[in-house]
Amino acid sequence: MLRVARSMSISVAATELGARLVEALGADVALTQPEDLAVYSFDAYSEDRLPTAAVVPRDAREVGIAMRIARACGEPVVPRGAGTGLCGGAVPRNGGLVVSFARMNRLLELDARNKRARVQPGLINLELSKAIAAHGVFYAPDPASQKISTIGGNVGTNAGGPHCLSYGTTTNHILGIEYVDAEGEVHRTSLDDAGYDLTGVLVGSEGTLGVVTEIDVRLMTLPETVRVGLAAFGDVESASEAVSAIIGAGIVPTALEIMDKLIVDAVEAHYHAGFPLGSGAVLLVEIAGAADDMDASEAVLARIAREHGALSWRTARDAAERDALWASRKGAAGAIGRIAPNYYIQDACVPRTKLPQVMHEIARIARDHRLPVGNVFHAGDGNLHPLLIFDRRVPREVQAVVDAGTEILRTCIAMGGTISGEHGIGYEKRESLSLVFSPDDLAAMGRVRDVFDPARNFNPDKIFPSGAVCGEVKRAQVA
Amino acid sequence: MIALGSFALGDRTPRSVEEPADAASVAAVLKAATDAGEAAVIVGGATLQGIGNAPARYDRAIVMRRLDRIATYDPRDLTIGIEAGMTIAAVNARLEEAGQFIPFDVPRPHEATVGGTLAAGWAGPRRAAYGALRDLVIGSTVALADGTLASAGGMVVKNVTGYDMSKLYVGSLGTLGAIVRANFKTLPRPAVRRLAVAPIPPDLEGRAVAALASVTVEPAAALVMRGFIGNTPRVHDEDIRLIVLFEGSAATVDRATRELRSQLGAAGVAQTRLYDAAEAERRFQVTLDATIEPLADRSITYRARGIPSAAWARMDTAYAHAERLGLVADAIADLRTGDVYLRVAGATRDAFEPRVAEADASLRRVLSRATLLAGEPSLRAQLDAWGPPPETIGTMRALKARFDPAGTLAPGRYVGGI
Repeated sequence: MLRVARSMSISVAATELGARLVEALGADVALTQPEDLAVYSFDAYSEDRLPTAAVVPRDAREVGIAMRIARACGEPVVPRGAGTGLCGGAVPRNGGLVVSFARMNRLLELDARNKRARVQPGLINLELSKAIAAHGVFYAPDPASQKISTIGGNVGTNAGGPHCLSYGTTTNHILGIEYVDAEGEVHRTSLDDAGYDLTGVLVGSEGTLGVVTEIDVRLMTLPETVRVGLAAFGDVESASEAVSAIIGAGIVPTALEIMDKLIVDAVEAHYHAGFPLGSGAVLLVEIAGAADDMDASEAVLARIAREHGALSWRTARDAAERDALWASRKGAAGAIGRIAPNYYIQDACVPRTKLPQVMHEIARIARDHRLPVGNVFHAGDGNLHPLLIFDRRVPREVQAVVDAGTEILRTCIAMGGTISGEHGIGYEKRESLSLVFSPDDLAAMGRVRDVFDPARNFNPDKIFPSGAVCGEVKRAQVA
Repeated sequence: MIALGSFALGDRTPRSVEEPADAASVAAVLKAATDAGEAAVIVGGATLQGIGNAPARYDRAIVMRRLDRIATYDPRDLTIGIEAGMTIAAVNARLEEAGQFIPFDVPRPHEATVGGTLAAGWAGPRRAAYGALRDLVIGSTVALADGTLASAGGMVVKNVTGYDMSKLYVGSLGTLGAIVRANFKTLPRPAVRRLAVAPIPPDLEGRAVAALASVTVEPAAALVMRGFIGNTPRVHDEDIRLIVLFEGSAATVDRATRELRSQLGAAGVAQTRLYDAAEAERRFQVTLDATIEPLADRSITYRARGIPSAAWARMDTAYAHAERLGLVADAIADLRTGDVYLRVAGATRDAFEPRVAEADASLRRVLSRATLLAGEPSLRAQLDAWGPPPETIGTMRALKARFDPAGTLAPGRYVGGI
């Protein structure tokens, strides 16, 4: 949460966009008053900007009407889930129309036998798994925000979560998508269709290719047994080495998470879940599957942990304790919010063998910039979340956070990693995209955008560097 | 001298065959073709070329087999970067040394290549357990028709850095670009692999399905096979057999096969035969090979995606329909993914040829979403491999036009004439 600016520029003039939306959809669906629009002006990255108007449609037809009006008025469109995104992806940087899915939040169909469901984009992630648990199935992607974030927003950022390690990210669980294009036409993709994998391209496109109005999700069978182990280490590097060793030993737990001392102490103060206070780092390991394998797997995990300097190893006694551990892990960022004036959470990914090295570098970078840093991350995936603590009233600290964040990203790239594992690029990291990809790489992505959104109406100023990505320009340069 | 005829697709034969040695050369060859207004087809192991139509134009075959190296592999990362021309068998061998695997599940792995397998969009039976290849690809480099090399993704397992372009190239049949390299997640090799084969009398189908569903361990793959009499797995001389692959720890696989045997026995299935390790793998591979195996020169083979619970019934309906049309049928239903494979053959090629178009139209009416997978070129010449295109075909055509405006890459070979 880099809250550096809050410039609420309120457009006074009753806009043409707003007037036409109200006329077509009613004042119940179309919002135009600044006080109604304020909630659509920010996300968890937060550089506030009021949209020109917002709609809260009831179905794809109403989305289509809104798209046609936005197009006629030449206004950009920004789809919005729950606004938990950390990279500014849902902020209407240039005003325009925000589409909220607060009313399109239902589970439409469940086919537990074939492990499929059809949902509306506004359905809250955790609500889906809760609604279907009685049928013995669950929806695997579980970002820490799952209590409030929506499946539609998760599709936009290809959201991850602790359980990606064995289950994969959102894209691995999406079977088809209904979306509305800039002309207001409704289309449906399916992995079962012949032809290009449009589903795969839409997932993770951060609302830049169209507005998603329905999602077919893949479900999984609830595991027979789940066990959560907890190991305490002297420092985060040795915990990281244990993670590398576990992966290297050919064991893929369902989750493998590390929290360092700063995070554990903050979390424990708030949740009292039983994390060992005072240890340098805690490793949370979940294994799931057949009951027959649990003891053997746990024995191997505990042995590897001890070999890498674990001070203690214990397992959650029951489902309640397990849930408490997970609740506190997923609430870690919130717990920090209670002890720090401000914090900035970074998201990057490295090959797993680079974990100990990158943790060492992050500590150095934070030290160099005189910032406290906490680490709470998906270690098994090499997906880092260094959390830099600062006070936004202190200009030096704000600048230090920006500089340290960039240095961390560069370090991860140099180790063969990338600049976003699960949060997306949004507005925040768009200029960094060219650190990872060549102009030719970006031009290929630009071609996809040319097809879906030639006028750049959908979520402009997101993902791609401001230097513009245009195949035509690119080709002219080559020629 | 390379025999051009061996690269023919339908009645099209290329005028030249090129074997570029590296990614930059592939890009250069594609640019040259585009500049000359020529059409090129990217060739891997040529095992899955039955997917798709013959190209409308075909000047150059670009053979990828010299790009046959592992670009990067540290087993401790559980990721691997592989050049497109490497055979699946060679990749499997390297992964096995490190105690890992990727569920490629392709027919004829000694010929099939990584790039060809991805371009063909091959998605085998174990995808229900481990994810499809599209889900395991974490990065790619592609040579585009204008001679640029474009990469996406990377060597990390979680990545939302720009569009997931690899998904677009997987299954595009070389019509958007030539995949020159792909990066994958790898998986630790399970301790035990065991294949169960059980003959299923026709009247016991429903009970067999229920028996399988009651097993408390999810199988890695579960197929029903009808026909394909040859060296495919069978217990006696039965027509219909259930083929179930379990993978995991010894304890789990023991429990799974014990339950399966007991449940099938209670359902009236007399015998379930078990095969372990190499024997299990060999029989599973033979089953995969059958999906594209022709019946002499007189067959065509379809694959149709669908929902798992309907697969067996869909297979039976299509099988019976083929028999009513006077055709010899062999079929596989994938009970975990929903795929149905159907091979139909006439008494002779000459007898089948005049009626193949009519039979094709009739079969597609009972087997929705059927696409051609393999078959005798003279029989296929009259057929569209893809059937009616999906509603999103307009977007697909626009993508083709944007990536390959000159129509260099396998024109006419893909869905809807792309």
